[in-house]
Amino acid sequence: MKEIIDIIVENINYIGAIALFLIGLRIVVIHTNLIKRIMGLNIMGTGVFLFFVAIGNVTGGVVPIVDPESANVIYINPLPSVFILTGIVVVVSITVYSLSLVIRIYENYNTIDQKELSDLISEENNDH
Amino acid sequence: MIIEQLPIINLLLFLFMALIIPLLKRKPFKITLILGFIVLILVFISSGYLLWYVNNVEIISYTFGGHETRFGIEFLVNPFSALFTTVISGLALIIYVYSSGDKTEGIEKKEFGRYYVLLFILLLSMFGILYTNDLFNTYVFIEILSITTCAIISIKKKKDTYTSAFRYVMMNEIGSLSYLFGVALIYMATGFTNITLVSESIQTAFSAYPFNIIIALGFMIIGLGIKAAIFPFHIWLPDAHSSAPSTSSAILSAIVIKVYLLVMVKVLYSVFGLDILVEMNIPIILLILSATAMILGSVFAIAQKDVKRMLGYSSVAQVGYILLGISLLSLAGLEAAFFHIISHGLMKTALFLSVGEIIFYKKTRKVNDFDGMGFIMPVAMGVFSIAALGMIGLPLTSGFISKLNLGIAVLENNYVIFLVVLILSSLLNVIYYLPIIILAFLRNEKYHYRMTTIEHTPKTMITPLIFLAILIVALGLFPNVIMPVIESAAKTLIP
Repeated sequence: MKEIIDIIVENINYIGAIALFLIGLRIVVIHTNLIKRIMGLNIMGTGVFLFFVAIGNVTGGVVPIVDPESANVIYINPLPSVFILTGIVVVVSITVYSLSLVIRIYENYNTIDQKELSDLISEENNDH
Repeated sequence: MIIEQLPIINLLLFLFMALIIPLLKRKPFKITLILGFIVLILVFISSGYLLWYVNNVEIISYTFGGHETRFGIEFLVNPFSALFTTVISGLALIIYVYSSGDKTEGIEKKEFGRYYVLLFILLLSMFGILYTNDLFNTYVFIEILSITTCAIISIKKKKDTYTSAFRYVMMNEIGSLSYLFGVALIYMATGFTNITLVSESIQTAFSAYPFNIIIALGFMIIGLGIKAAIFPFHIWLPDAHSSAPSTSSAILSAIVIKVYLLVMVKVLYSVFGLDILVEMNIPIILLILSATAMILGSVFAIAQKDVKRMLGYSSVAQVGYILLGISLLSLAGLEAAFFHIISHGLMKTALFLSVGEIIFYKKTRKVNDFDGMGFIMPVAMGVFSIAALGMIGLPLTSGFISKLNLGIAVLENNYVIFLVVLILSSLLNVIYYLPIIILAFLRNEKYHYRMTTIEHTPKTMITPLIFLAILIVALGLFPNVIMPVIESAAKTLIP
């Protein structure tokens, strides 16, 4: 039992990242509210970002700002954090774009519920 | 050296064009069109020159800012990326010329500029995806591509485009994040994102951390599979491609999904390598997926009443053909897949553009309304027929050659069952393409031979269509002209 807890504690970052990814995926797939689905996308993205940052972590490492006076310091890997800066910008722009689409959908259909939307669309198709 | 910088200059030309269009807002729109045409011609020439250069002189590698490839971003121009950037810029040029005459159906006049901004950023990201030799950089370009494709679908101010664009953006984003997760897992196991460095150390990483590599492979195949509309993940494609303006549909169907397939080729062949794939039984899984796509895509297409939806489902089937060639993991299979990417690009562009012209003039997209259309719009329907016959795989068209190559490649690996599937899928193609041609040309005598009923279409729309038809037939007659470049492109991936 103690070993299992140790493994969990050691890998808590990775487990948390995968949990976030799966929670986000579930929200995107299951929920019918369009805004909630966009939120789910963000949670998914956060999971991946946490995973990336966790890779860069070195136990006992310090922030990678080189200080010439103190030698023999272990720095954490800055590269994943740099990737994630780009990743965050990308996910923000996707969020903005999809929210603007939701506004347009609301203006046209007066609903942001996927089920009601598909009912409305199939009604329209039957009219033609 | 200027040659090393040519790929970056290509990207910068697109970016420059995308930035300058809003500035030319108050000038007549013709200036923008001519400038865009010049940019596309320049890029086409320079990528053609690069294609010649990498095949005859040496492969170009360019690292940004002079950083080591371990940290920096590397652009690699090899026969593979040079070939497909040339193909993309050529197809984009044809579609661009058409779109300038089309008034880009369904888009408001003040949105024209925005449409072309999106088009050029789209091209920029596709060039970036092909040139870059870095997994994370590929992700960034993929995201640019996703946003611009979604925006180009939703640019038409129509109700249904918004919902289909929303579905597309959701699916796409799940795909991108899955791909990113795969990159993270590979980075965790190997410590690199540069494709060359990863491929050198992936075998040792596989024996040390097998789970990382297996999960990464799964995530990346699913992520790119969603974006390339590989069969079980195709549900967004027919909606998105049918509700977009015709020129965008042509770009999406002929180029964009192919780019994702090419990324998949890169990931499978250059990153993971054949040994790991064979050990994981990935080829069998992909072969079964491609076979189902080939059959079911065509079956769904038969049921469609809307021409553009039908073409969308046909794309699903065609992605199946390409995936079949890719998943054979042989040189012949890869060559067949590359040839089909080019020939399907030409045929689908011709189909979407000719249908676009019919929609533009006749305001109809129902299959049943094509009655006698061959006498009203002979050029558009003629090109449609040539391209449709190519899709069926009749001799004298490029479609025949690609199916022949695929068949030979399948037989080389002794998968006779997939040859049967290939032929069955071709027969299903006959069921949905031939009735349209018969309806348009052979029925309804009332329009027969009356010159007055022929529609007058602008030259900018007719010329690209005729040019595409000529290319389809020429590629069917003389496939050996481009075979050497395809061969060397395939050889960069399978040493």
